[in-house]
Amino acid sequence: MSTFVKNLLRFCIIMALQVLILNKITLRWWSQPAGFPVFIPYVYPLFLLLLPFEVPVWGLLIIGFLTGLTMDSFANTAGIHACATVLVAYLRTNVLNALMPKNLSEYPNQSPGVKNMGWMPFLVYSSFLILLHHTVYFSIELWSFVNIGYLLLKIIASTLTSMLFIVAYLLLFTRQVNARS
Amino acid sequence: MRNFILFIRRFFNLILFLGLEIVCIVLIARTNNMQGNDVMSSANTVVGLMYQKQNDVVYYFGLRRMNDSLINENAFLRQRLAKYNMYDTLKDSAVHQVVQQKDSSHVVKYADYTYRTAKVVNNSVSAANNYVTINRGSADGIGKGMAVISGSGIVGKVEHVSAHFASVLSVLSVKQKVSAKIKDGTTGYVEWEGNRPDVLLMKDIPQQVKVKKGDSIYTTSYSFFPQDVLIGTVYEIALIKKNSLLLLRLRPSTNFRNLQYVYVVENKMLGERQQLEDSVKAKK
Repeated sequence: MSTFVKNLLRFCIIMALQVLILNKITLRWWSQPAGFPVFIPYVYPLFLLLLPFEVPVWGLLIIGFLTGLTMDSFANTAGIHACATVLVAYLRTNVLNALMPKNLSEYPNQSPGVKNMGWMPFLVYSSFLILLHHTVYFSIELWSFVNIGYLLLKIIASTLTSMLFIVAYLLLFTRQVNARS
Repeated sequence: MRNFILFIRRFFNLILFLGLEIVCIVLIARTNNMQGNDVMSSANTVVGLMYQKQNDVVYYFGLRRMNDSLINENAFLRQRLAKYNMYDTLKDSAVHQVVQQKDSSHVVKYADYTYRTAKVVNNSVSAANNYVTINRGSADGIGKGMAVISGSGIVGKVEHVSAHFASVLSVLSVKQKVSAKIKDGTTGYVEWEGNRPDVLLMKDIPQQVKVKKGDSIYTTSYSFFPQDVLIGTVYEIALIKKNSLLLLRLRPSTNFRNLQYVYVVENKMLGERQQLEDSVKAKK
């Protein structure tokens, strides 16, 4: 399977998962008594994180923008998701450069993953960018720092849940790759 | 010139990044003054169709709950109908009492409302501004600004319309207030805090107004909603010390978590009324 087709498929799968299933389950752990925020885990930035190493920054930016706009049309939040994903796309290369031992051009035809990065670096990489995405998204959505505690709680709870789903996704799909190779 | 091209090449990524972020910010700012573009919303045909397909699958899981709510609504409507069909014991027949009189010799003239049913194909409760997508659009006569209610209470206001879908800004939104009244006629605004989908607020009620827990709050004729639609019931009354005004917390009567069918209400007199009110404002 060519890298392009593979990524296109991944885009469709992750988007469908996000829009048709995850957007519908509004988690509210102890919402009622403690006033805990209702939140949605946003897993779709994972698509940007898993794009191949050799995609240039401008390509990432445009893909990120389009991904965000797609999500925006589904969630009726014109521009908020796009704003967050463009930032993630812009910083992705810098974060990877800091975490990878070799130069990024030395990984031809590979995508960031547990296999070539190891669990710890990949988790740091993904959780940092997901946290960034959620921070930008929820800050713009609420558009005020009056309830700073509420905002932080929402960001942290959403990030943790998103990471849970991302780890589940990785566990499911890395094993498949191992079995094939 | 060469230096300029080199400069552009060197900072191309940063320039592109800033450019895209500016596009995003413009988009966000444009939707915030209520005149958003319809293409980038769930009223969009492709998005609407996808939600429709998803709803076709999920629909069956909610049938039982929906039956219950329809039965309740039937009972409620029958009860109201009974008021109009009073039984005349002398003539031994049902006398139809006409309450609404429309000929010009009488003063009472009721606004004409058209109700259209619509099915909810997507809905959310977790964002700061929640939207409900319905499967009716401009082809079915839906227009921007129409009120949307469910069998049990208010839902929201139509904001984006395409040919076959419309997205409705629900009451669970920080940018929308609804004019409301308590049983004794005191009016105020109902708004949403932005976090819990089962709590609405009604602020700035004078202390001397008598409210109890369990009182119902209805819409007024001032807003785009038809009059006397249930908004919710009071479950907590708090006194704000700073300005000695009451703060009412309401449970919305509509369960936003499992909306299935809604009614889009068209107020045929609204255009005329707005024209009049705008002309008064313009004179000031």
